[in-house]
Amino acid sequence: MLLHLWQYLYNNYFRFLMKWILRQVTRKCELQRIVDGLEPGASRTHRVEYSLGCSKSKVLRRAVNVDMDDLDKCLMDIMKAKKIHKQKDPRFQVSLRVCLLQISGYKQLYLRVENLRKQPYDSNNDEHEEQLMELWSLLMPNQELVSRITKQWGDIGFQGDDPKTDFRGMGMLGLVNLLYFSKHYTEESRQILSRSNHPKMGYSYAIVGINLTEMAYSLLKSGTLKSHLYNLVPGVPQLEHFHQFYCYLMYEFDKFWFQEEPESIMLFNQYREKFHNRIKGLLSDQNVVLTLKKAN
Amino acid sequence: MLSVKGLLSILRKLKSAPDQEVRILLLGLDNAGKTTLLKQLASEDISHITPTQGFNIKSVQSQGFKLNVWDIGGQRKIRPYWRNYFENTDVLIYVIDSADRKRFEETGQELAELLDEEKLSGVPVLIFANKQDLLTAAPASEIAEGLNLHTIRDRVWQIQSCSALTGEGVQDGMNWVCKNVNAKKK
Repeated sequence: MLLHLWQYLYNNYFRFLMKWILRQVTRKCELQRIVDGLEPGASRTHRVEYSLGCSKSKVLRRAVNVDMDDLDKCLMDIMKAKKIHKQKDPRFQVSLRVCLLQISGYKQLYLRVENLRKQPYDSNNDEHEEQLMELWSLLMPNQELVSRITKQWGDIGFQGDDPKTDFRGMGMLGLVNLLYFSKHYTEESRQILSRSNHPKMGYSYAIVGINLTEMAYSLLKSGTLKSHLYNLVPGVPQLEHFHQFYCYLMYEFDKFWFQEEPESIMLFNQYREKFHNRIKGLLSDQNVVLTLKKAN
Repeated sequence: MLSVKGLLSILRKLKSAPDQEVRILLLGLDNAGKTTLLKQLASEDISHITPTQGFNIKSVQSQGFKLNVWDIGGQRKIRPYWRNYFENTDVLIYVIDSADRKRFEETGQELAELLDEEKLSGVPVLIFANKQDLLTAAPASEIAEGLNLHTIRDRVWQIQSCSALTGEGVQDGMNWVCKNVNAKKK
C-alpha cells in the first residue's frame, strides 16, 4: 500500500520535481544527462526509451513509436522542444539519433519477423519449395532425395514424409531460420544433425529447430531481446541479427541437451523450459551480447 | 432473495468441493491437431503452435472435474512411447485430421492397436473428427464407417466432429467426456 502510494507520488510529482532541480543545477535536460552519463548500448538506450515514454510532452512520447521515415524530423522536434542547441552539445544529437534508431528499429524488426511467421509454408510456391530443397542438400550433401514426398525427410528430423505440415504456427520463419543456420554454419549444422541421431538421447533436428524458432520469436515479441540487440547493433537491427540469435540458440541448445543427458526425447519440454530460463537469465543482464562462438 | 451471507457460503462450498481428478490421454497422428485442441481447452493462444516433441500437459476445470490432459506427440518415431502413458487413463481422446484422407488407413491402424491395449481396456474413447473448418474434411459419419467404429463393443465410444481451430464442437465432445468419466468397464 505504502509502496503504491510512493510510486504514485514519485511518478506524478517527485520525478518531475527531481528533474526540475537537476535541470537547474546541471543546466541539462534529462535526455542530455542520460546520454552524457551512460555508455552507448543497452543501458543508455533503455533509459532514453523509459524517459521518452514517461514524458509529459507529446513530441517526446511519440518518439518511441516513430516511423523510420519520420525519425529525423522527430529528432529535430525533440531538440526544439527541449531547447537544445546543436552547436552547444553536438554529440547529443548523434547519440540520441542512435538510440531512436535502436528503439524504432526493434519494433520494425518485430514486424518483419512477424510477417515472415504469418506466411504459411505453401508447397505450390516454387520459392518455398526451393528453400526446402536447399535445406536438404546443405544438410545431406551426399544423399539425393528420391522424391518430393518421402520418408527420407525423417533423416533430417521432420515428422512425416512431407515437411509442409511441420512448420505450423512458425510458417516460413521456421524454414528461413533452419536454412540460415545451415548456410552460415554448414559444418556446425551437419555436426548437430549427426549428434541428434544419437540412439538414446537423440532428438528430431528439424522439429527442435522449429521449436527454437518459436523461442527466439517469443523472446523478440516480449521485448526480452532488447538489451542484446541494443548492445549488438548501434543502429537499426536487421533480420540477419535475428537469424544470428537463432543460430546461437541452435548451437547452445544442442550443447545443453547432451550435457544434461536426458533420459529420452519425451522429456524435451522439461529441458526446453530449463534452457529457456537460462537464456532469459542471460538476457536480463544489461551488458549481454549473445553470439555463437564456435568451439575449435 | 438470497442474502450476501448465503451467497458467500454457497460460493465457499463450491470452491471447497474437491474436484474429481480425471486423467485424459490425447493421442493421434502427427498434425492431427492435438496440441491445438489442448490449448483450445485451456483457452490459450493457438497461433504459435509448433510440432510436439515429447508431450504437453495441462489441467482444465470443467463441470466439477479437474481434467489432467496429456497431449503426446504423434510422430511415428515417438509412438512407441505412447504406452508409457496408458496407466490409470480415465478417458482416451483420439484426434483425426478429417481432411487428410491419405492417412485414414494409418490412423485407423493406430486406433485399432490402442483399443487392443490391455492397459486401456474398457476405457471410454472419444474420437474427434477434427479440422471440420476445412472444405475437404470428411464428415464424421464417413470416418466412423471407414474406421469400423460400430464394431467397438468393449467400451463406450463417441465420434464428434469439431474444429480445434474455431472451437466448434469441442465443448460438445468435452460434455460427453465428463458424462462418461466413470463409465469404465471393469
